[in-house]
Amino acid sequence: MTETKTASTIARQRVDDLAARHGEAGWLKEARLSDWELYLKCPMPTPRDQDWHGTDLSALDLSAFTAVDFQPVEPKSPPEHPFVARTLRHFSRRAGVIVQAVGRPGYIELDAGLAARGVILCDLSTALREHGDRLRPYLAVPAKPDLNKFGLMARALFNCGLFLFVPPGVEIDLPILSMALTGGATAGSAIFPRLIVLAGDNSKVSLIHASAGEGAGRSGGGESAPVLHSGLVEIQAGAGARVSFLDLYQFGSNVVSVNRSEAAVAQDAEFTSLTVALGGGTTKSDIATYLQAPGAASWVSGLVLGSGHEHFNFNTIEEHNAPDTRSDINFRVALGDSSASVYQGIIRVARVAQRTNAYQQNRNLLLGGQSKADSIPKLEILADDVKCSHGATVGPVDRDQIFYLMSRGLTESEAEELIVLGFFKTVLESYPVAEAVDWVLESASQKLFRKPSGQTPAI
Amino acid sequence: MPNFNFPAAAGWQAKIVPGGRRLPNETMSQTKPILAIKNLHVSVEDKEILKGVSLTINAGEVHALMGRTGSGKSTLSYTLMGHPRYKVTAGQILYKGEDLTAMPADARARAGIYLAFQYPVAIPGVSVSNFLRAAVKARRGTELTIKEFRKELREQMNRLEMKDDFLSRYINDGFSGGEKKRLEILQMSLLKPELAVLDETDSGLDIDALKTVAGGINAMTGPDLSVLLITHYQRILNYITPQFVHVMQEGRIVLSGGSELAHELEARGYDWVTQEPAATTDAAVAQALAP
Repeated sequence: MTETKTASTIARQRVDDLAARHGEAGWLKEARLSDWELYLKCPMPTPRDQDWHGTDLSALDLSAFTAVDFQPVEPKSPPEHPFVARTLRHFSRRAGVIVQAVGRPGYIELDAGLAARGVILCDLSTALREHGDRLRPYLAVPAKPDLNKFGLMARALFNCGLFLFVPPGVEIDLPILSMALTGGATAGSAIFPRLIVLAGDNSKVSLIHASAGEGAGRSGGGESAPVLHSGLVEIQAGAGARVSFLDLYQFGSNVVSVNRSEAAVAQDAEFTSLTVALGGGTTKSDIATYLQAPGAASWVSGLVLGSGHEHFNFNTIEEHNAPDTRSDINFRVALGDSSASVYQGIIRVARVAQRTNAYQQNRNLLLGGQSKADSIPKLEILADDVKCSHGATVGPVDRDQIFYLMSRGLTESEAEELIVLGFFKTVLESYPVAEAVDWVLESASQKLFRKPSGQTPAI
Repeated sequence: MPNFNFPAAAGWQAKIVPGGRRLPNETMSQTKPILAIKNLHVSVEDKEILKGVSLTINAGEVHALMGRTGSGKSTLSYTLMGHPRYKVTAGQILYKGEDLTAMPADARARAGIYLAFQYPVAIPGVSVSNFLRAAVKARRGTELTIKEFRKELREQMNRLEMKDDFLSRYINDGFSGGEKKRLEILQMSLLKPELAVLDETDSGLDIDALKTVAGGINAMTGPDLSVLLITHYQRILNYITPQFVHVMQEGRIVLSGGSELAHELEARGYDWVTQEPAATTDAAVAQALAP
């Protein structure tokens, strides 16, 4: 790929215009500009880069994308959309909802009692106007050194997103829902959402976030330009806080999605994260967890369901930066047709992080004859008193399981679907929001059932 | 359908059977056979395991198939159910007169064939209740309402002394040997097969569980159900009485007789069958079948 073809250069003018349009504070514009400078210096990733292992986006010209915003949210009624309707039905008991969409007005609701206790749920533009002081300590900080070019681009150009603030000691038992509908984005547009979650000391909160871009140029393929989704998630779990975050992507095949989520977990805090990837042309996500103080614990799990020619590349990064911290990773991937996945998981244990307890598991189920999965676990351990282990498996569905179900009258594809959903369910059962289990399984089963006939893999 | 010439194995069987008694391999009975296995040869990964099995089961009959470990009993059961690993290289399996050989397992199940597995596989994440509902729907072609399904399920579970929490557990995941076998029989009671192959359903059961499971099977037998009961030991035959007993050895049925044959085997061991087969077995069968 030549330099002229993929310049991927973004003019400073774009950052200036964005800051001016939103009337942003000086500190924010400075932060954007410093990320913009880093962006310019950062090379476009190639499939040979360690973190990108096999994922090739080098042909994308990032400068060619036009950023689109979500429309403002209103407390009127949720947009009519099957995904929104289904999600609201599943979570009829909830603490709040925010729906943001490209090309149509959004929606917001928050339990009045929680609002009175100081809980803030709003879109990011509103947050930057009204709660800039709260956000500044988290936005006006340098990017992590391993943030890639897409992430730096998102930090320079983010234009929408969400802010959730839970004051210390406030426990929210019901989930808060966030839906981002990107289906209205036309070919060649880019969306840069940024989610900021601040959970105070001893607070409790569950955020369920879904990005659904079905229908956006689903015909896809050919010469039409993709839609770029480059999202950032930043979560702070204060001391003793219990935070859970569910991140579900359900994009069309024309969407290139590159995401980074970072969670900092303080003393004795518990962080649970579940990423569910149900579709997208190319999906690349880094999920980083920083266990920053003694007693911090994290459970990071992922479910990936691929079909067609979808390509997934997930990196999990667990940093144990303090003694007596625990982490548990469970990533499960099921791939149909010719879909492919690369999973890389690294556990880093700092010299001070004695008595770390870390486990990482990655299981891959190959459903399609042409599907392919790579699993690359890594350990970097500097402390000498730790318990760290990992395991990975790649293989087809167990033929004896298929036969058992078929011997009871289920067809081969019905048997396979039950097994795949079961493979996912064993991960979901430890997720703290019970309603989420059926919602995720139903979303996954919708994708399984939409599988074109004649593409049922040979088992 | 051309006239089928009984091959060598069946001929040998004919030799050891005293004349005048109807034995299962003779299809002259008035009742239509539900299952007719003719000179069945089966290979697994190019190794021949079944070397010419012939067996006829008429509607409502209970047959026991005995034999040592490795004699081919489980191969026969998997082949009857249509496991793709077991390749039929010669012969026929006729179910209600129709050749099953090319029929996949799910179609056989929907047609009324049931296999109770010796080693039922665990399927983590798939709950027993979801699975049973899907299986009942597949077999009957219609979906029961949750209420109807629960009612039927409760009756059957009570009979097998199974607790409700069974339903929310994952299929065979962490089940004891007895729980696995109960689940096999529970499924059978819901799917109402016409031909049930019970592969070592007695193994791994303590005496109380054996009685319960055998009671469950006995409650289902009758004119609408034919059973091929595969067992290594005679023990389960104290609770379920077969009309016919067959002995399998090295991929063939080498001896057939009435229910007394099972006791004879228990007393004398399988070696008795091997030694001087013709003479010994002739005498034994004659004795066993004597009034």
